[in-house]
Amino acid sequence: MKVLIPLVGLGGLTTLAIISILLAGLFNAWLGQPLPVLGFEQTFDQPINFPHTKHAAPVSEGGLGMDCTYCHRTVAKASSAHVPAVELCASCHRAVGSYESEDLIKLREASGIFENAEDKQVIVDSEMASPINWRRVHRLPDHVRFVHSAHIDYLTNHPSAIGNVPDRLDLEGKETVPASQVCSTCHGDVASMEKVYQVEPLKMGQCVNCHRKNGGPTDCAACHH
Amino acid sequence: MVAEKNRSWGMVIDTDKCNGCSGCVTACQVENNIPLNDQNKFERGRVMSWIRIERYWEGEFPNVKARFIPIMCQHCENAPCEPVCPVYATYHNNEGLNVQVYNRCVGTRYCANGCPYIVRMFNYWEPTWPEEIRNHLNPDVTIRSRGIMEKCSMCMQRIKRGERNAGDQLQDGEIKTACQEACTTGAITFGDLNDPESEVSILAKSDRKYSLMPQLNTNPNVVYLATVDPYKDKNLGEKAKTNEH
Repeated sequence: MKVLIPLVGLGGLTTLAIISILLAGLFNAWLGQPLPVLGFEQTFDQPINFPHTKHAAPVSEGGLGMDCTYCHRTVAKASSAHVPAVELCASCHRAVGSYESEDLIKLREASGIFENAEDKQVIVDSEMASPINWRRVHRLPDHVRFVHSAHIDYLTNHPSAIGNVPDRLDLEGKETVPASQVCSTCHGDVASMEKVYQVEPLKMGQCVNCHRKNGGPTDCAACHH
Repeated sequence: MVAEKNRSWGMVIDTDKCNGCSGCVTACQVENNIPLNDQNKFERGRVMSWIRIERYWEGEFPNVKARFIPIMCQHCENAPCEPVCPVYATYHNNEGLNVQVYNRCVGTRYCANGCPYIVRMFNYWEPTWPEEIRNHLNPDVTIRSRGIMEKCSMCMQRIKRGERNAGDQLQDGEIKTACQEACTTGAITFGDLNDPESEVSILAKSDRKYSLMPQLNTNPNVVYLATVDPYKDKNLGEKAKTNEH
């Protein structure tokens, strides 16, 4: 009788290797995030390179120390964090920043008010104004309704529940913290990322664990409706 | 910390006020991302609507009266749909609601067979909308894909939003379902049945109250109020007259 799958000798070793690679991939995907190989990278190039390091990092580390809520304005009030409109970027970057930078030229053109490179004329062209197609990094499945405002409300009043606290923040003994210091729980230390990537697996197990620890609702309908 | 509230969401529908305008049906369709129904679906008997209005005719020709009953998921306390689900996709939560978990559902349709009110809708097709409506969908409600069951959730997204915004001081009548908001005559009332002072629990104690199919002992959270017949006495008078002659 011919054996279809080799079980002994070199063939057996190869079979074992293939099976273990498949199982490792499966368990990896099941337990956490996939390894960043073969197109499973957790980050990608944005249409305009936006360095969070320059904007959000504290002044001591060479950043501007801006609050997360300055750009992600609705995060503490609404369910979604929202990427700001190009106008908000342009309100600073019309003047601020290098005039040679490729990314800033793209940004100024997207805002519709920019300086012509040749004769330095200011052009106001509302037809040029267009939203930037940012690529989304943190994406939950469609059947989950995650509300930022409720989580930020809770975490600002319970700093002990904040996870992934960056070294520069000292939350010891504080009763309340500003909204921009709680984001690291799920998003990691975004201020130190050149390109934003997903730090936490953001799977249901993680949500439920945290809800159990902090007395959040564990009713299915709280998130799935 | 979200404290456990001993709530039991319920609804009272005054059939005397219902004029059958179907405003609730349309509002529900818009609020809950229900795909639009076309002639094909009607002909196949696979119409999707979480609330429907049943019409009954009463009386003989010149004195015909139309009676309307809006029927949605009754959120039964003894729900026949719950024990038959093999994957626990439908269950009773601690707020008195019969919840359908879309991501658990595998589409066996046992629950729809068990439901005596025929209010569970099965997605036989991938839901589609015309291009101009695509951007008007409600972001707070999951879009149900093909092969899963769906039904009235008593506007779960509105309940959650209301609870979130109000915190501990949730007033009676603060949360309104889509059908309630759309009802022109105010026939639908929504609220907490466990709160003895809420509008629903006062209305639910009315003499006119009845529930659908009480013989099945499903104990629904949706209570109906019977119609009041203004011609009742007049008819009696006429009968009395005919008897005289």
